[in-house]
Amino acid sequence: MTLTATSFDWVRQVVHRESAIVLAPGKEYLVEARLLPIARQKGLADVGQLVDNVRTRPNPEDTRRIVEALTTNETSWFRDGDPFTTLTTTVLPSLLSARGPNERLQIWSAACSSGQEPYTIAMLLEDAMPNAAGRVSITATDLSREMVERTRAGRFSQLEVNRGLPAAMLVRHFSRAGSEWEVNSTLRRMVTASECNLAAPLPRMGPFDVVYLRNVLIYFDLPTKQAILRRVRALMKPDGWLFLGAAETTLGVDNDWERVVLGRSSAYRPLKGA
Amino acid sequence: MRALVIDDSRAMRRIVSSILTGFGYEVRDAGHGGEALDVLNEGWVPDLATIDWNMPVMDGLQFVSAVRANPAWRSMTMMMVTSESEHTQIVRALAAGAHEYVIKPFTADAIRDKLALLGLLPQEVAL
Amino acid sequence: MTTTDIGARPVIDELIDGPTVLSITEEAWISLVGEDEVLVPIPGELPADVVSSWVDVVGPWTGSVVLTTSRRTAEDLSRALLRESAPEVLEEEDVVDAFGEIANVVGGSVKAVLPGHSALSLPSVGTAPEIRNPADVCRIDVLWRGEPIVISVQGALPALPPHSTTP
Repeated sequence: MTLTATSFDWVRQVVHRESAIVLAPGKEYLVEARLLPIARQKGLADVGQLVDNVRTRPNPEDTRRIVEALTTNETSWFRDGDPFTTLTTTVLPSLLSARGPNERLQIWSAACSSGQEPYTIAMLLEDAMPNAAGRVSITATDLSREMVERTRAGRFSQLEVNRGLPAAMLVRHFSRAGSEWEVNSTLRRMVTASECNLAAPLPRMGPFDVVYLRNVLIYFDLPTKQAILRRVRALMKPDGWLFLGAAETTLGVDNDWERVVLGRSSAYRPLKGA
Repeated sequence: MRALVIDDSRAMRRIVSSILTGFGYEVRDAGHGGEALDVLNEGWVPDLATIDWNMPVMDGLQFVSAVRANPAWRSMTMMMVTSESEHTQIVRALAAGAHEYVIKPFTADAIRDKLALLGLLPQEVAL
Repeated sequence: MTTTDIGARPVIDELIDGPTVLSITEEAWISLVGEDEVLVPIPGELPADVVSSWVDVVGPWTGSVVLTTSRRTAEDLSRALLRESAPEVLEEEDVVDAFGEIANVVGGSVKAVLPGHSALSLPSVGTAPEIRNPADVCRIDVLWRGEPIVISVQGALPALPPHSTTP
């Protein structure tokens, strides 16, 4: 065991603050098991060192990884549902009527994790429009190189494909690859994955018609949230659409967005003239 | 809401039943397809049936076909919960009339996600 | 496999490896035994009084997926699966049911990795089927709550003679 009582308490506090989930005393082994891959990936000897590093030099991205590793086992497909269903019911028809037939639609999944979000978008579009692969490109970015590589590979474990992916879509868009499932090559060709730190100046990308920036802002302080939203807006088309996580909003953070209610969720669009 | 949990393993029936009870379901169970048909013929038709594939007496696929043959049971949503995890097997089950498919091993979250997709999750759990 | 040697059939090493069997087993544990349950891939020494649960796979590769552990650990596993519905004193049928279901879930995932279509038997519990060909075995050793468990994917057919001639 490498985790001291102080480190474990710090992890418990952070997880409670960010997710309202209580880690009971005695769960040290769980923290060890879940955080070890992150420590290894960062070239650290053990979980104790990982926690010490983040404690002494706070870092939202590592904090997010720690919280996610301890609170969710697998990312769901169609997580929170509505931001995906409204893509094909509302957003896509409006974009297709505004764009020329040869204009490529550009979509950005800005914290793609292991790839569920960009491939959910790709499957929906493939099912909703003819020749989606020829008309849409999806840019998937994440801070973590490991997550970018997982997204590129498009391979998911049995437990992962069980999480909210309709069986009909599984059989239509995936094939077996050993003990895992692999996204079909048509969808993989729609998705380009790369590393990107949202809290730093962004690379030249876009301009994007749709941006999914979900469950990221909650980990940053107000000035960083404002800077991220400003940088994202600069990469969007003037009539683009931004989807945030269910617990996130631009309201009170950055006033240059218009909130549009779509079903039970909301999207944000750049304010004209802003 | 009501659910009928069909599996030849009592341990598995316990696991699935306790997940569904946690979502507010009233649950009955059956050890194979024949027993499950007996429950339906009694008049106890659930909103959801979770169905194992490999069982003695009557397997899950035969049960799905039997339910499909009776219009009185059309309102019931059928979700396979099985260790059969080949692509072709999933296609077979969907073609026979199953609405959803959960592959063992699964977690409670997987069942919750599928029920949310099917609109079979009580609102207070979904939020 | 070569096309000229009609008598050849694959041995399990050509179809699945230890790390895959381990990750399959870990996923089954999370699902059945508990989401916080950890398997440590370290061999331990099995006692004399062991019990096995297994399912048979029949297809292009034919054999069994076998879990072997001490009787006591098999009972602890069964209690973990049955939780609040576990009886005060476990009957043999409780162990057959619960320990057998673990073999069913692990076996189903192993079968999915194998090429072509295979059929899966209902689970059995008792003395493991004998190993017919030591070269046709993929075995992993793990510790669960400190107790050793062996998972073995083993062929049911004897080795072919070394120079099988085609008819």
